[in-house]
Amino acid sequence: MSRLARLGGALLLTATMAGSVPAVGQAAAPLARREVLPNGAVLLVAERPTLPIVVIRVSVPAGAVRDPADGLGLANLTADLLTRGTTRRSGPELDQAIEFVGGSLEADAGRDSAIVTLSVLKKDLALGLDLLAEVLRQPTFPADEVARKIADIQASLRRAEQSPETVAARTLGPLIFPGHPYGQPAAGTVESVGKLTREQVVAFHRLHYRPDGANIVAVGDVTEPEIRRALMQRLAGWTAPTAALPPVPPPAPTVAASSRQITRDLSQTTVLLGRPSIRQDDPDYFPLAVATYVLGGGSASRLYTRVREERGLAYSVYAGAQPARYGASYLVSLQTRTDAVAEAVKLVREEMARMGREPMAPGELELAKSYLIGSFPLRLDTSGKLARFLGAVEESGLGLDYPERYKERIGRVTVEEAQRVAVKYLDPATFSSVMVGK
Amino acid sequence: MVGMLPSRALSLSALLLSLAFVGSASAQAATSGPARFPVTEATLDNGLRVLIQEDARNPIVAVQVFYRVGSRNELPGATGLAHFLEHMMFKGTPTHGRGEISRLIELNGGRDNAFTTKDMTGYHVSIAADRLDLVLGLEADRMRNLLLAPAEIDSERKVVMEERRTRIDDDPEGVVYEAMSSIAFLAHPYRWPIIGWMSDIARINPGELRAFYDTYYRPNNAILVIAGDVKAPAALAQVRRHFGPIPRGATPAPVTALEPDQSDERRVIVRKEAAQLPVVNIAWHVPNFRSEDAPALELLSTLLSEGRASRLYRHLVYDKRMALGAGGEYSYSSLDPTLFWFFATLLPGQSPEAVEQALLAEVEQLKKEPVPAEELTRARNQIEASFVWEQDSVFSRASVLGRFEMLGSWRMLDDFLPKVRAVTAADLQRVAQRYFAVDRKNVSILLPAEPATAAAR
Repeated sequence: MSRLARLGGALLLTATMAGSVPAVGQAAAPLARREVLPNGAVLLVAERPTLPIVVIRVSVPAGAVRDPADGLGLANLTADLLTRGTTRRSGPELDQAIEFVGGSLEADAGRDSAIVTLSVLKKDLALGLDLLAEVLRQPTFPADEVARKIADIQASLRRAEQSPETVAARTLGPLIFPGHPYGQPAAGTVESVGKLTREQVVAFHRLHYRPDGANIVAVGDVTEPEIRRALMQRLAGWTAPTAALPPVPPPAPTVAASSRQITRDLSQTTVLLGRPSIRQDDPDYFPLAVATYVLGGGSASRLYTRVREERGLAYSVYAGAQPARYGASYLVSLQTRTDAVAEAVKLVREEMARMGREPMAPGELELAKSYLIGSFPLRLDTSGKLARFLGAVEESGLGLDYPERYKERIGRVTVEEAQRVAVKYLDPATFSSVMVGK
Repeated sequence: MVGMLPSRALSLSALLLSLAFVGSASAQAATSGPARFPVTEATLDNGLRVLIQEDARNPIVAVQVFYRVGSRNELPGATGLAHFLEHMMFKGTPTHGRGEISRLIELNGGRDNAFTTKDMTGYHVSIAADRLDLVLGLEADRMRNLLLAPAEIDSERKVVMEERRTRIDDDPEGVVYEAMSSIAFLAHPYRWPIIGWMSDIARINPGELRAFYDTYYRPNNAILVIAGDVKAPAALAQVRRHFGPIPRGATPAPVTALEPDQSDERRVIVRKEAAQLPVVNIAWHVPNFRSEDAPALELLSTLLSEGRASRLYRHLVYDKRMALGAGGEYSYSSLDPTLFWFFATLLPGQSPEAVEQALLAEVEQLKKEPVPAEELTRARNQIEASFVWEQDSVFSRASVLGRFEMLGSWRMLDDFLPKVRAVTAADLQRVAQRYFAVDRKNVSILLPAEPATAAAR
């Protein structure tokens, strides 16, 4: 029932959060208080005292982008194993402890960061923080748990082959980011995961679960001094290793387009187009956000109107930028019946090209701006969403005033600017493509 | 599980939000302190039920309209009507052309979507609180003024067919879910999929959609829930202004189908080439919220499947290493009695027979031994905590109020937790013995295509 949805939702949303920092903010009070702790970790606190609940979200620079070339999936395996045993408790004992109080404690690696999220009633915060600190600082990675987890990840990867979207995304990755970790599967492959060892996990944890480059977000029924003290007590010995992490090189800004066809016996073909794109700190990001909304962002968008509303060619059709910490991709996707693929793809490519060829109508510009600016509060209406937003803003270095800047920058976008960035970033000839189907 | 169909796949997060409805319960009876967000209720002269919950924490409002119509109100040969009609609700009225309602909502910084379940159809908008009047006007318009233009119906028919391909035909687990429902129910409409059979989607004509709309889209068959930064008296006045003039309709005929008692176990095997890992489902006919045994079933579902300490995860996934995932599902708030599901996705190399036996062994254990106190307490605590978390957004609170009002009254929320707290270990044992019996059991198994694989033998 509901808690299933809550727990599952929190996990999935965390996974999709990767850099897709939402829009705008209401003015007035800052979203959170920010400070740098003595060990270098950043603490962000947003007090929401109305309900007796607390979300603590810890992010460390331990995402899949840090996987060694011969150890794909190491970051994912390491994060999955955090809750499988500590110096004080076995995996099942950790599960029992947090679930007995109706809370959850989940660890998950994304592209850029590993995230540990505690969700707990206020009355159980001390217990929750004890467990959170243990899994961050004292995981033991028991050998039997490592073996179990490797088998589970391999089975999950096999099961994911049932999903044409997953197959398409896995195939498109290296076409957009050749030679860059962003192009690799974040959970690794069946083969690569099978070769990972406990020693690699232990070493990865020692090097990457570090306070410099980490942020801790607390949202809910807590005060800043209270949570600060509670965290300092539990994370006292957490200090940065002397050697800094090597920098992650940015992916190539442009790549020659190529295409792949994956044959599957399905009634629909899944089409995924993509290319490298830009991050929120690029001045072009804001006009691109507006152009994206007009192209394929909402129910009045051109793709939705032409492909779905007028021609009935797809249930789902979408375009959007996927900004991350060190780079970004831009994806256009749809699923349609096999015999309609050619027509649907032609329509999509034509609409992408038209974004650069003609100025958008003033009404389209107004709709995009109104939606992007006006819908911001909806993106922060739960403690979990606010925690993810604050963490993403911090990880991308956007600053707590980002909502205000976003609002101001989106508001200033002109038809000419939107057309200019469409020429630069939405030209269909620059997009690689993958089709999965018959 | 395919419990609900949102009308648009704009984003993953929108889908997840929709899924967050499933079987949820909550809100009023906060476990700590008095109810923080009191509910104002009213019934207009035309029968429209209105619930308003003030919450000024964020400057937003959730507006949700629930119609008492879902796939259970359909007939063989015209399945999928409720869901098809839900799609058509975005396709225009004389005042607001195709797509205009969603466009106006987005122009005002709002988001909208809709969903269809076996029991109901819901429309939800989240938007800045000062735009409430706009949304009420749009919802009142499409409650009675839908165009249902034949050209738009034919265009949307293709979209619904694509949706069916995505959700079911190309997803092996969607196919096996559909197969389970169609063996477990013989007489009751829970037998067919919410989205309908492909041949019915292809055939349904404008006259049938019009008749369905005219029967069910009436104020006396609807619930309007508003939660957010509004003042109840002013909001209610706005509701009266927009919806008050709509005339009451005839009371729709009740669903009369009754599922006969099952007499023998039923089984189905689905083979799909795309299936990578076998899946074993076992489902028993159980009662719904109307039964005094429902709170015990809710607790059983929780202790079997909620979290990694739950029985099915701990035993099948962790200890025995038979499954990649395992769980159970019970729909407390189903309008008619439904199924209690057990399911397991197999790890490679495991046999479906052995996994089925392991699931059944869990059931026998529940019948044989009382659940230890620690386990019962954990399940209670998980349910109580979920109530508090569901109050965190106006969206989830509005949907929970609407769901319980569908059952009879949102006030039933107040009884839910006390009922859960009253359940004893002896109750759980008795309920397991009563309902997890062979003459209530249905089994569906998903296998890869080749019969020669080790897993299939």
